Amino acid sequence: MRSKADLMTTTALPSPPPISLATKIREGYFSGPVSAVVTIVCAILFAYLAYVIVDWAFLSSIWSEADEPLCKEASGACWSVIDARHRIIFFGLFPYEEHWRSTLACIVMVITIVLSCVPWFWSALRLSLLWITGFGIFYLLMHGGLFGLSVITPERWGGLALTIFIFAAVSLIGMPLSILLALGRRSKLPVIAKLFGLFIDFFRSLPLLTILFTAAVITPFVLPDILQGDKLYRVIVGFAIFFACYQAENIRAGLQAVPPGQVEAGLTLGLNYWQRVTRIQLPQAFRNSLPAIVNQFVITFKETSIVTIVGFFEILASGAAAYGTGKWTVHYIEVYVFIGLIYFIFVFSLSRYGAYLEKKLRVGHG
Amino acid sequence: MADQSEQVATGQVAVTMAEVNKWFDDFHVLKNINLTVADGEKVVVCGPSGSGKSTLIRCICKLEDHQRGSINVLGTELNDDVANIDEIRREVGMVFQQFNLFPHMTVLENCTLAQTLVRRKTRKEAESIAMGFLEKVRIPEQASKYPGELSGGQQQRVAIARSLCMSPKIMLFDEPTSALDPEMISEVLDVMVSLAEEGMTMICVTHEMGFARRVADRVIFMDEGEIVEQNEPHAFFENPTNERTRLFLSQILQH
Ligand SMILES: Nc1ncnc2c1ncn2[C@@H]1O[C@H](COP(=O)(O)OP(=O)(O)O)[C@@H](O)[C@H]1O
Ligand SMILES: [Mg+2]
Repeated sequence: MRSKADLMTTTALPSPPPISLATKIREGYFSGPVSAVVTIVCAILFAYLAYVIVDWAFLSSIWSEADEPLCKEASGACWSVIDARHRIIFFGLFPYEEHWRSTLACIVMVITIVLSCVPWFWSALRLSLLWITGFGIFYLLMHGGLFGLSVITPERWGGLALTIFIFAAVSLIGMPLSILLALGRRSKLPVIAKLFGLFIDFFRSLPLLTILFTAAVITPFVLPDILQGDKLYRVIVGFAIFFACYQAENIRAGLQAVPPGQVEAGLTLGLNYWQRVTRIQLPQAFRNSLPAIVNQFVITFKETSIVTIVGFFEILASGAAAYGTGKWTVHYIEVYVFIGLIYFIFVFSLSRYGAYLEKKLRVGHG
Repeated sequence: MADQSEQVATGQVAVTMAEVNKWFDDFHVLKNINLTVADGEKVVVCGPSGSGKSTLIRCICKLEDHQRGSINVLGTELNDDVANIDEIRREVGMVFQQFNLFPHMTVLENCTLAQTLVRRKTRKEAESIAMGFLEKVRIPEQASKYPGELSGGQQQRVAIARSLCMSPKIMLFDEPTSALDPEMISEVLDVMVSLAEEGMTMICVTHEMGFARRVADRVIFMDEGEIVEQNEPHAFFENPTNERTRLFLSQILQH
């Protein structure tokens, strides 16, 4: 502190010597014989790997559906299968002539997700308006029944739209629930704290598959008809509870790391419980456990594929259908690479966004 | 100033503690505390570490519950009724040893948060009030910075300004300079002195004896949960009657 302040007031002191790029490379990668060998071997391996991949995916690959017969001879990827079957991958069993609705719905949902990542929307009012609008449009487009759109029930939704819908709905129900659970578990009243703790630990110790299976298959026997709703919604609620129980523990860890003095400062300023929670504790808790919270979203996005088991045609299942018939059966690698790429785009954006948030929120922690 | 001293003369009471007892489990931390603080009075509380000073003033803003006896703040009895507790807390400002600024808010936001939420001020009003107090503690230029970017002395002055924004009738200080580097102590004490000169009712836990001599109407010495001795500063420092007070004073005045 001292010396920095002194430096700032004295102008005549020299600045540190500049470090050239060459120096940086030499010191970082070629600082000794071992380091030099490691660097060179890694570089060669990397170049080889890059060549193999580029060759397979681009240089020696076949692109159009019509060229499919050439695939046998080609050493590269046969993207013909994607050209021919991408509609199934994206839309599942959704009626062919309504695919534009599913496309639009996906775009609307992605925009909603992206917008809710923008700090300007971070107030209860704006976020709820955004999500109600987003979900409203999505549902209208997918389900139809208004404005002359034909009705398409959720059993026929599929592919990317279904994956995104499940992810968005699980997050939307799960996040508020997780906050509630985390706060409940930290309640001063032992009965409440124990009850919430039991609930969280119970659902965390069940496999997701069991929960989804119960929601899809068993609840119809238990719940009265009116409470059942569509199978898709039961599965989403089950999934959201599972998500919330894990996320609640992340949030609770973040809350625990907020020093008690913060709450006391809030108390002495006369803030009530909700004001302290929403303005002081939760913002700091989110910052404290942001990596874990983002991680839970990433895991959840990938776990959406599990709904296949209870009969939904999300993107992985519709991918399997895409290569499942006739001449396409040999091209499953291309299909999985393609789906992998779609997952990658979503998950990678999510984790980059997490990294950006972490950096942004670090301001002020000095 | 004038009406403040009148109130003292007519004996308006800010805080009354009568036969207050408190335990942490089996540990008897406050023993039969009797204390009356008049409106506008400045009281300095000192005593060895662990003697219950923090607990005493934390009871006054109900950060801690007492188990026996009664505490009356500004005419309101501190019981378990939530509504009146919030009311009291708004009138009593507290400054902590560790500042406890909100790290995720700028200095200005720290000062406006409670004004807008609790006092229902508009943002504009709250900001102009906040800037007024930031000027008073002499750091208006730091308003848009985050607490983590400030020195300890600056943070503590922001904490004082944040409390003052709620226009409290009583200010409590719990060792406000103990966490500071030596060169920053005086900038905080200066703010406290000017606050005292304006007639604020203050209860300060501090070992800054220069400050006590200068502003205190009364100095209280606590040991092992009891008020051992209290007197006006001159008499307290020159002629301590109790053996424990003498020992304590000789220890801290050596430095
Ligand atoms: N929350 C608590 N639980 C148990 N014991 C406590 C708690 N807070 C303080 N104490 C104990 O009470 C005694 C008085 O503490 P405190 O009022 O902080 O003393 P001081 O401020 O004079 O140093 C200390 O022995 C301390 O260990
Ligand atoms: Mg203390």
